[in-house]
Amino acid sequence: MDRLPRGRHGLSPEFVAQNQRERLIAGLTSALYEVGYQKTTVSLIGQRAAVSKSDFYKHFESKDDCFVAAYDAAIDRIRECVVAACDQHEDEEWAERVRDAIVSLVTLLQKDPALAGIALVEGLRAGRGVYDRYQAAVESFIPYLHRGAPPAPDGVAVPEATDEAVVGGIASLLGRRVLAGEAEQLEQLVPAVLEFALTPYLGSAEARRIVSAG
Amino acid sequence: MKPSRPELPREFVAVHKRRRMIDAIAELSAEQGYEATKIADIVRRAGVARKTLYDNFDGKEDLFLAAFDLYLGEVRKEVEDACDATGGAWQQRIESGLAAFLRCVAERPAAARMCMIEALSATPAASTRYDAAVREFVEMLKQNAPAGALPETIEETLVGGVSWILNQQIRRGEATRAADLLPELSEFILSPYHGVENSPVKAGRRK
Repeated sequence: MDRLPRGRHGLSPEFVAQNQRERLIAGLTSALYEVGYQKTTVSLIGQRAAVSKSDFYKHFESKDDCFVAAYDAAIDRIRECVVAACDQHEDEEWAERVRDAIVSLVTLLQKDPALAGIALVEGLRAGRGVYDRYQAAVESFIPYLHRGAPPAPDGVAVPEATDEAVVGGIASLLGRRVLAGEAEQLEQLVPAVLEFALTPYLGSAEARRIVSAG
Repeated sequence: MKPSRPELPREFVAVHKRRRMIDAIAELSAEQGYEATKIADIVRRAGVARKTLYDNFDGKEDLFLAAFDLYLGEVRKEVEDACDATGGAWQQRIESGLAAFLRCVAERPAAARMCMIEALSATPAASTRYDAAVREFVEMLKQNAPAGALPETIEETLVGGVSWILNQQIRRGEATRAADLLPELSEFILSPYHGVENSPVKAGRRK
């Protein structure tokens, strides 16, 4: 099997327009957001993607197969965004990098609620196979938080579980808000999310100071 | 003529069988998922007749939801009792409540898996139950934590973070060691409140 060309990870709007497989993935993602997992059928996906059912089956074995591909594509897009923010602000203080990454992430999710839906909501609720992917995806973001972080105020390193709880907690909060139909107000959560992320490393007082100063 | 063994009261037997069915669906859901679990599996695991299951429950979903409600009720009681039994500062109440929750996870790992993971994907009604349970725990934390200039989403985020950690433990098959997490999770939950003005707890706890 051919290696995937570099740069294919992530799903920019231009790609979506060109490719049948990507259209199906986009079709599933938007159908999911509109009607939920149970009601998203192969027919509906095909309609959204302007792809026939038989063509669907050229690309995917089943709805679940398409779902997994769509899920992975969504995570790739989110990862691209977070990595870009981290790289762009490499020279900044850790706390500012975290702020920038959170702002970029939330802005992306707010602009594309269907993306937020599949990544943060459906990933948990579609069954075992995808749940494992959700867990792996969230875990994979921990290094972005951790890299360059100062040791905790008393000099003791922040426990691994705390890193995980921060990233897991943020994913959970954002997901629940999307589930509640508040995807378009996610940006309002940025100060709270930032304070939550910084607190274990800087202490709550310093975290609050940085958030208010921003 | 004396019976060869004493008969247990019928109601006792009935309740006991109900519990066995509930525990069976928890174990099976944890092992193979809700979807893959069949009525035949449940009755075999529980050691009851098919008829007994259908006398007590409408079917698989009804049993699942009854199990969820039962386990949630048990956890709720243990957490509330632990908080109530703890005198002293709000930090100790929260830590006691958390410790009680971790004990429940450690003592009933299949139930923990069922309620915290499988419920999300089992059926729409199950995931609704899950969301309501999360809201309950968020509220419980709010009521025990100090008021202050913290974002109102903090409790929701903290509960999400703790759930995350516990779900990882459960998935790794380490649920029985959940109590080991108490120091880290306690610090995690309490640290945002450090330095917040020590005003009295927000409101009396709802009974």
